[in-house]
Amino acid sequence: MNGDVLVYVETRDGAVKPSSLELLTAARQLADGAGGMVDALVAGGPLGAVEALSGVADRVLVATHPALEQYLPEAHAALLRSVVAERNPALALFAYSAAGLDLAADVAARTDRAVIDYCVKLSATGREIEATSLIYGGKLRAVSRARSPAVAVIVPGAYPEARPDPARRTTTVEIAAPPRLDALRTAFVVETRPAEGTVDLAGAAKILCVGRGIHDKDSVEVARQVADALGAEIAGSRPVIDNGWLAKERQVGKSGCRVKPKLYLAAGVSGAPEHLEGMSGAELIIAINTDARAPIFGVAHFGATCDLFDLLPALGERLGKGRAA
Amino acid sequence: MTAASSLVLWALVLAAFALFVWRLRRLIRAMLASAPAARFDNPLERLRGVARAVLHQRLLKLRYSGAMHAMIFSGFLVLLTAIAQSFGSAMFPGFSLRPFGGETWIAWLQDLFAVVLTLGVAMAAWQRYAIRPARFKGSNALDASIIYVLILAVVVNMLLESGFRIAAGDTGAGAWRPVSQGVADLLRAMGVDPLAAAGGRRAAYWAHVCAILAFLVYIPGSRHRHTFLAVFNVYFRGLAPKGQLPRAPALQATGAATSVDGFRQLTWKDVLDVATCTECGRCQDACPAYAAGLPLSPKTLVLDLRDAIIATPGEPTRDATLWACTTCRACMEACPVYIEHVPKIVALRRRLVERGEIEPMLQEALSNLQRSGNSMGKPARARARWTKDLPFKIKDARRDPVDVLWFVGDFASYDVRVHEETRKVATLLHAAAVDFGILYDDERNSGNDARRAGDEGLFELLALHNIETLSGCSFRRIMTTDPHSLNALSQEYATLGAHYAVIHYSALLLELVESGRLAPRSARGVVVTYHDPCYLGRYNGGYDAPRRLIERAGYRLREMARCRENSFCCGAGGGRIWMDDGASVERPSENRIKEALALGDARYFIVACPKDKVMYASAVQALGVEDRIKVRDLADLVEFEGDVRSPTPRTTQQAEDRV
Amino acid sequence: MQIGVALRLVPDASGDLDIAENGQDIDREWVDLKLNEFDDQALEEALTLKENAGATVIAFAFDGVGADRLLQSALARGADRVIKLRNPFGDGLRARAAARLLAPTIRELGLDLVLTGVLGIDEIHGQLAPFLGATLDWPHVSVVSEIRCDVGALLARQETDGGFSTTLRVRLPAVIGVQTASRPIRYASGAKLRQFIGQKIALTDSNADCGDLAAELLRLERPRSDKGAIMWEGDADQVAEALHDLLVARGLAKETMR
Repeated sequence: MNGDVLVYVETRDGAVKPSSLELLTAARQLADGAGGMVDALVAGGPLGAVEALSGVADRVLVATHPALEQYLPEAHAALLRSVVAERNPALALFAYSAAGLDLAADVAARTDRAVIDYCVKLSATGREIEATSLIYGGKLRAVSRARSPAVAVIVPGAYPEARPDPARRTTTVEIAAPPRLDALRTAFVVETRPAEGTVDLAGAAKILCVGRGIHDKDSVEVARQVADALGAEIAGSRPVIDNGWLAKERQVGKSGCRVKPKLYLAAGVSGAPEHLEGMSGAELIIAINTDARAPIFGVAHFGATCDLFDLLPALGERLGKGRAA
Repeated sequence: MTAASSLVLWALVLAAFALFVWRLRRLIRAMLASAPAARFDNPLERLRGVARAVLHQRLLKLRYSGAMHAMIFSGFLVLLTAIAQSFGSAMFPGFSLRPFGGETWIAWLQDLFAVVLTLGVAMAAWQRYAIRPARFKGSNALDASIIYVLILAVVVNMLLESGFRIAAGDTGAGAWRPVSQGVADLLRAMGVDPLAAAGGRRAAYWAHVCAILAFLVYIPGSRHRHTFLAVFNVYFRGLAPKGQLPRAPALQATGAATSVDGFRQLTWKDVLDVATCTECGRCQDACPAYAAGLPLSPKTLVLDLRDAIIATPGEPTRDATLWACTTCRACMEACPVYIEHVPKIVALRRRLVERGEIEPMLQEALSNLQRSGNSMGKPARARARWTKDLPFKIKDARRDPVDVLWFVGDFASYDVRVHEETRKVATLLHAAAVDFGILYDDERNSGNDARRAGDEGLFELLALHNIETLSGCSFRRIMTTDPHSLNALSQEYATLGAHYAVIHYSALLLELVESGRLAPRSARGVVVTYHDPCYLGRYNGGYDAPRRLIERAGYRLREMARCRENSFCCGAGGGRIWMDDGASVERPSENRIKEALALGDARYFIVACPKDKVMYASAVQALGVEDRIKVRDLADLVEFEGDVRSPTPRTTQQAEDRV
Repeated sequence: MQIGVALRLVPDASGDLDIAENGQDIDREWVDLKLNEFDDQALEEALTLKENAGATVIAFAFDGVGADRLLQSALARGADRVIKLRNPFGDGLRARAAARLLAPTIRELGLDLVLTGVLGIDEIHGQLAPFLGATLDWPHVSVVSEIRCDVGALLARQETDGGFSTTLRVRLPAVIGVQTASRPIRYASGAKLRQFIGQKIALTDSNADCGDLAAELLRLERPRSDKGAIMWEGDADQVAEALHDLLVARGLAKETMR
């Protein structure tokens, strides 16, 4: 078994996703330590993506087939299975995304490998791999150990994005499409883009986000008024949207929007990794949560543990007397 | 009276009765279609209630109204004799009241009460059109006016008839009829000769008779059904203990709409209730939800139900109306005809719960109760976590026999804001060397409010669990700090076959103070006021122990106007604490604090329920009046001293006045 | 159509979590177990399919503390049948072994579809849905927020990222990892639960080989708070004051006009 690290690359509109570039940084560290190569697997092989990986990975593995044009869990799983079985990398890396959830455990099961999810740190000594993962919604960390060959899933934001090294020579390798791709039981129907509504969270300068702690639809209204007084957009974490208290286009997080506002005020949000993924890049993060140990305080710049039902009206009062900048 | 006239009268009477019954058809049909109710027990007690109602016990709580109604009521009773006379003599030849005094003292009474009745109607009209009390908002004024006119028609024509009779020459009739005599004199002065008077008498007679029959035909569609229904409604009133809700009928799978046609879940007594409502609005006046601006008026609810049953079938009321009720029973306490509002609301809530049509906060609370036995969703295992930092260990009542089993309750166990009080109570009991224990994490919510929120099955799950746990324990009596638990344990659990001796901690603390095992504070006359919790006071009659404690602690008690059985609910009961109150204009708790402040000199607002402490403290904070009034729990009235490890009672001489 | 729903009990992480003495688990003294949030959604989605397409719903759980009550609740919510599987791993049961234990029963019953939550909050060594899919060799899709029936297949909407979602047509039999049901969870009244309380649920054996190749958990740790937030003390009014002052200082809000 070699010390190679295989990275499953995700693309959107022909460009490599930032989370995949982060994987490549981790891959480089681990591969260098084991004296192996970094392989980047790009299913469907869009040209822009392959070029972007030049100087980053050692080898770019490209497989083309009509079934790989859109992401289909079954197709990509079949491809991965055959690539991993054939090339036997010490480690296969995935980003914590929908694809990561589909594919990592599947590959691990089919190729008899261990799998560690939600990693924020990975290291290897010889054949021992040690990983630190987020557990219990990010409230705690779990340190695990596995013997390679293994599979790991890394949380976006844990590693910096890899930069191309002009000194590195990258070769492109054509991968044969496995026969399974001709007998798939899954088919692509349609992709739905985010609702083109009146909301542009990604472009908003100020966002007030409410989480599960807001308790009900009527209290969301109170928050909305404070948001208005602040000149901010109102947003919600996944549970708020799932309950129907805010429209889908106002969701921040892995399944929602990624935002980078000047101000992100999070009220009643616990800060699970899925949510942090959507907002940890904000310039000024202020968090209100009665749980002093809520993970959100790990990324917030300022915070308080008072009750949001007391704070929001108090804040609204002060804002109402002034005017939003 | 000629034979022909008699026949005409017979025809009119029969027609009127037929119309009367026909106009009652929907009501009758509804009563026949509805569920049974066991109200035929205890005839003597039921009759006593009727007697109290006849004596206007509840009506006179509002002096003007009560007096006015007494005048009309007594007038009606006396004029029944006039009706008997008018009809009887014409329909049954030989019938006369003369042998019984029909021309003497009965006649005198008739004249007198004709005036009384007229005055009563005048007072009623004055109240309705000049005073315009707020409780009449939503009542049908036209209906009232028609009745005033009809009553006056009956009375005036009666007086005219006897006036004409006297003027026509029957001067003897005037001997016992001073008013009619006066009418006759007036007629004569106007130049009416005996012949004309005789004709006038006949005319007045027929007008009188027709007015009466018109009244009879009118009232099935009027709230004046109560004239003949009220006595039955009062007789068949609920005699079960106040804290016991009627059990739910076996719930059938209902896919149909919420409408009450079908009446399967309402009993015949419910139907009778809504038909008897006089639209007086005393319930509306007493309702804390209504005062808070929520969409509930007990009066409107009853009238909507009535209309759905008797007039237009369909959706009687909005869900928001049903959910606004705190089940405080103030409405039922105020109603002069003993209508039972709360059981109807709970019955309709049950339907919504079965179909899962409940607001998210309530759903969360009920789901938490189902899953972990407490409404906050905190772990069942963490129930006794509040005991961790006490310097002594509380006995485990599941293992060891105890004298007093303390049923702590959800809020006292789980809400950090209440923990201070809970520990205080534990320390007091320990200091007084009471042999007490708790159920630790086998205690569950008592189920009182789950039942009132409409989840009967959940109540049973919780209650049966508690009963099973208690059956494995050995104790003399149960004590609780929570009035809601008190109610469930002492009243509701009886319907499941479990009977316990249950006291509220106010009674236990009083016992300990009176026996010298605990010393009260020595407050030297500071003025305080006390809030009667609904489930301790109105529901379970626990008014006095807290007052005696306050007295013993040296405070001077100033009662708010709405005290004892008229206490104003804090707004948390009936599951409302688990519901969103964004729609309320003014929180009942704030309304109450304002009432306390209006007393002028009350420094403390004393409460006897852990939820109340939290609700009122936050109301005081919201109103920004912490410097004028502070909320204190009864437990704060009792002292102990000594080092933290082994508290000993403080003697009265050493007690400091910490005010 | 026969739908299986795999339900798991997980520690209730909504309160304080402490690490146990041995450092390898959370302190369970004050912590209850509850139904995994995403499995709850999976059950609701199964019940939605039952209502819309007339499917039969079978709920699975592994033996352990609270398993009976969990399955009784599933019946109260509308599941047609429940199966409790013997659990040779006790508290240490993880998704990979669970998949191997479930697979034979799923095959025996001839189920068309298996739903389960997209992830469990205490699972870090692989998720149940893909493990099941791999073990059964069925197509699987995770992070699904809506399922609609088609003939012999279903349409699943997968939430990808940034608000994008993809609808996929998946031929049955299949496994779906549900993130959100297509309707809010319906309340099942106490009366419904009462019907099933006390119902004995038989234990089903699974003859499966479970060579568990999972990674090993070494220890649990607290997240390092070296770049933790600056916390404002005081009551809501004081915090609002501090917050407002900060916003004004950063040019994000205007001064309060007096």
